[in-house]
Amino acid sequence: MNKTKLISMTAALLLTLSACGGSSGGASPPPPPPPPPPPPAITTAEAYQFLNQASFGATTGSAADVINIRFDAWIDQQMQTPTSLQLPYLRSLPRPQFLGELHADRVDVWFRNVIDGPDQLRQRVAFALSEIAVVSQLGALINAPYAVADFHDQLALNAFGNYRDLLNVVTLHPAMGVYLSMLGNEKPNPTLNIRPDENYARELMQLFSIGLVELNIDGTERLDSQSQPIPTYDQEIIEGFAHVFTGWNYAGAPTFQQAFQNDNNQTVPMQLYPDFHDTGEKKVLNGETIPAGQTGDQDLQAALDNIFNHPNVGPFVAIRLIQRLVTSNPSPGYVQRVASVFNDNGSGIRGDLGAVVKAILLDDEARPDMPMEIDGKIKEPLLRLTQLWRAYDAASQSGVFPLAPAYIIFGQGPMQSPSVFNFFSPFYAPAGEIRNSGLVAPELQIATEYQNTFITNYFFILTFNWNSEEPNPGADDVLIDIAEEIAVADDTDALVDLVVDKLLGGQISTTLRAETIQMVDRVRTGLPGNDAALAAEAIYFIVTSPEFAYQR
Amino acid sequence: MKKINRRDFLKKTSAAAAASATFAHVPGMAFSQSMGVAAPFNDYKALVCVFMFGGNDSYNMLIPRSNAEYNVYAASRQNMAVAQQDLLAINPLASDGTDYGLHPSMAGIQNLFETGKVAFINNVGPLVEPTLKADYMNGAAVLPPQLFSHNDQQDQWQSLKGVATSNTGWAGRVADLIRTNVVNQQLATNVSLFGNSLFQSADETIAYVMGNTGPVPFTGFTNSGDPNDLFYQQRLAFERVLAASHPTVYERGFAEVQQRAVDTVDLVSGALELAPTLNTVFPASQLGNQLQTVAQLIAVRDEMMMERQIFFVAAGGFDSHDDQVMNQPGLLGGISDSMAAFHDAMVELNIADSVTTFTQSDFARTLTSNGDGTDHAWGGVQMVMGDTIQGQNLFGTYPDLALDSNDDVGGGRMIPTTSADQYAATLAKWFGIDDLDLDMVAPNIDNFATRDLGFFI
Repeated sequence: MNKTKLISMTAALLLTLSACGGSSGGASPPPPPPPPPPPPAITTAEAYQFLNQASFGATTGSAADVINIRFDAWIDQQMQTPTSLQLPYLRSLPRPQFLGELHADRVDVWFRNVIDGPDQLRQRVAFALSEIAVVSQLGALINAPYAVADFHDQLALNAFGNYRDLLNVVTLHPAMGVYLSMLGNEKPNPTLNIRPDENYARELMQLFSIGLVELNIDGTERLDSQSQPIPTYDQEIIEGFAHVFTGWNYAGAPTFQQAFQNDNNQTVPMQLYPDFHDTGEKKVLNGETIPAGQTGDQDLQAALDNIFNHPNVGPFVAIRLIQRLVTSNPSPGYVQRVASVFNDNGSGIRGDLGAVVKAILLDDEARPDMPMEIDGKIKEPLLRLTQLWRAYDAASQSGVFPLAPAYIIFGQGPMQSPSVFNFFSPFYAPAGEIRNSGLVAPELQIATEYQNTFITNYFFILTFNWNSEEPNPGADDVLIDIAEEIAVADDTDALVDLVVDKLLGGQISTTLRAETIQMVDRVRTGLPGNDAALAAEAIYFIVTSPEFAYQR
Repeated sequence: MKKINRRDFLKKTSAAAAASATFAHVPGMAFSQSMGVAAPFNDYKALVCVFMFGGNDSYNMLIPRSNAEYNVYAASRQNMAVAQQDLLAINPLASDGTDYGLHPSMAGIQNLFETGKVAFINNVGPLVEPTLKADYMNGAAVLPPQLFSHNDQQDQWQSLKGVATSNTGWAGRVADLIRTNVVNQQLATNVSLFGNSLFQSADETIAYVMGNTGPVPFTGFTNSGDPNDLFYQQRLAFERVLAASHPTVYERGFAEVQQRAVDTVDLVSGALELAPTLNTVFPASQLGNQLQTVAQLIAVRDEMMMERQIFFVAAGGFDSHDDQVMNQPGLLGGISDSMAAFHDAMVELNIADSVTTFTQSDFARTLTSNGDGTDHAWGGVQMVMGDTIQGQNLFGTYPDLALDSNDDVGGGRMIPTTSADQYAATLAKWFGIDDLDLDMVAPNIDNFATRDLGFFI
């Protein structure tokens, strides 16, 4: 039990006792209840912890906001903040001859939005959703940057909406239609041995909604009488859904066969071409069937309702969002509390993502009083970069964030997954104590020797070459602002403490602080008079440490 | 001296523990690998796994060419069928009565097959036990869970776990079994050029992951040993931070990878600098780059005192739900060209008799079409390549490609008639695993009559 809860229970107990004593007196009116004790002030460390879960990186400024208005109000404010979009920016640019070149601008505007956008929580949740309902520029969407940008915009717009609506948007979006080949999927043609494409049917269930095996509400696997997991579906159900998802293609074409991608239809929901929809009966989940003779849209809505109402969706979504935002190994209790909110937001509504996100971030387990060695997670590589950039007001003279090859440098990039299975698996467990303890650490799947070295080297160049002291920066060089560090560079302790405040919310281990101080002093001796190098060294040494890679 | 297997040993000895302590010191005494006490190998061998991610449509790779069987193929495959006249003819040494051809993009493999360097393994896939269609249909068969699912079937190929829960891969278990045979090796037995894989995951040994073209050195570090060298001091300080006690499992896991990266990069980069320039030209593709780097690493094996190596390389894009006819030539041609170049490089390095390349993939694909592509299936055809392969042969039984045949569980999904366990056990035995330890590599091998598919000379 956490300390806050214990204190408030003790207070309630004392209140009850005094009330009893008062009532025994008879005639005198009951005294007015004392005002509730003010909640304890939020510490900088707590604000940093919260903001590393809820934004693209805590900064001293955003921490001050959270300390001032508290977690709950900050979340409410964020949920009211308008969405920073990508598509209008892409549409505003001249159309290149090879449309695929716009993916570089799409990545650029993603960084602009997550570094400087006011809708931090929305963008962070959209990023998490983009790792559940995955589409990627790598593959069939290489020539559809508008589609990929709009898909991301739709995730952001629906980040605090209802999961059922999100399933609808995702299913009918041409980006998903192309990526998982529901677009152009047609009813059976037995003479040519053509049967419906099973791709979307399978991954929608496995990856976006229910997973492979039945779950209890706390996310643990249900077991049959032989202690074996129970599959959620079989091949026949896959085929049932595959038949549901027939008849859809790019909108606005004269016929199904003439529906080709153009610049406009890649951001418009797919359209039903009824002649290509299978109208037979379809077996779906929970022992249900979709009756024959319905329209394609009726089938689709019935199928999405069928999936949405499967009892797995709550714990499935809870685990994935908790893993992306807070911790790799949530307790069953944490999963159950969040899944219960998914199942009913308190007003009888199922699938309220805003309520789910709030439940995740405000849960005691997101802010444990006594952290355990399995609390928290490894930061995704992109989040290490965005946190550094946000903490140091990074910007280029041109305004551009030119990081189109993010997936090569960091092993992940915005909408740059190698497949629909995301950059890493939610079940990944590296050999050693994590696996031996039955734990997972998804982000460590891409933390290979190779990738970590690449990232370490990138941070070296970033800190030493791309800072505000650089005499002749390129227009697109994203520079971190180290003016405040330069101002205290004469004092190693002050310099390191400033960096620790900005990057770690003031919390640092004795070893890392001592080694950083010694390295700065060595640079002071080895490169006399180079204040920028002192600042760069302090930042580099901390951002490449296991401590910075870890999200509390 | 004949190697002694652990179970033999325990059976024959009443005080096994005490005895093993004594016998371990007898010169020349070689215990089985599972005892953890073994003699060094006196030769070099490498296995190179080429994984085709997404599920290779391998019944469009090796295709019946004689009229009767081609017509069955074409009737099932319809608009996915490769034209009969386009097939690249092959002439297996032993005929099963059918003529075969290869996809027209695979001239490199055709040439290697005809010259005895490549063999095909027919209709191989994950199985727990020999499985008949009737048993599959009535639920009597014990099956690998989640058939037709990408990640689950990738895991089956890589781990051979069957119905068990296992977090180790079969290459990882091979590396664990031989770890006391290869104590002089400076680099891990398992090396991946395609990220972390279950295939190489193990309990005792850890795979080393590098990029397509090798490892990258740390920009901010040197190993000069000069105390006035800032980059040397930086490396030492960085390592002291890694070695500090970290409060969470995540930081410890992260620090371990970083420490391994620092420890290994100088060794591997230094060795690679000594690699000869190969005359063989590799395709300028991800797989081509990976195999070129593997060739260079093999060239400098003695620099790192390597005796046994397992390399993991891969190509993606095989999940051809869409546009299969358009994309398949590039996919299969890419595999063929890269593998052929790799074989040429092994010949150039005079090591082709010690290096075996083999393919794996999630599954084959439905013989039926979904309009412009295919969906997830089960058993398929795999390739093995090298000078010690009984090349120009087909192993196992090619399935009946007629829809609803006894091999088809529906839609043209072939029930494997050779198991991935048998495939792996054959490779592992060549690599040097004791016959009686093969069930530690391939846990379901005892369910199958044949432990060795016989594709090695």
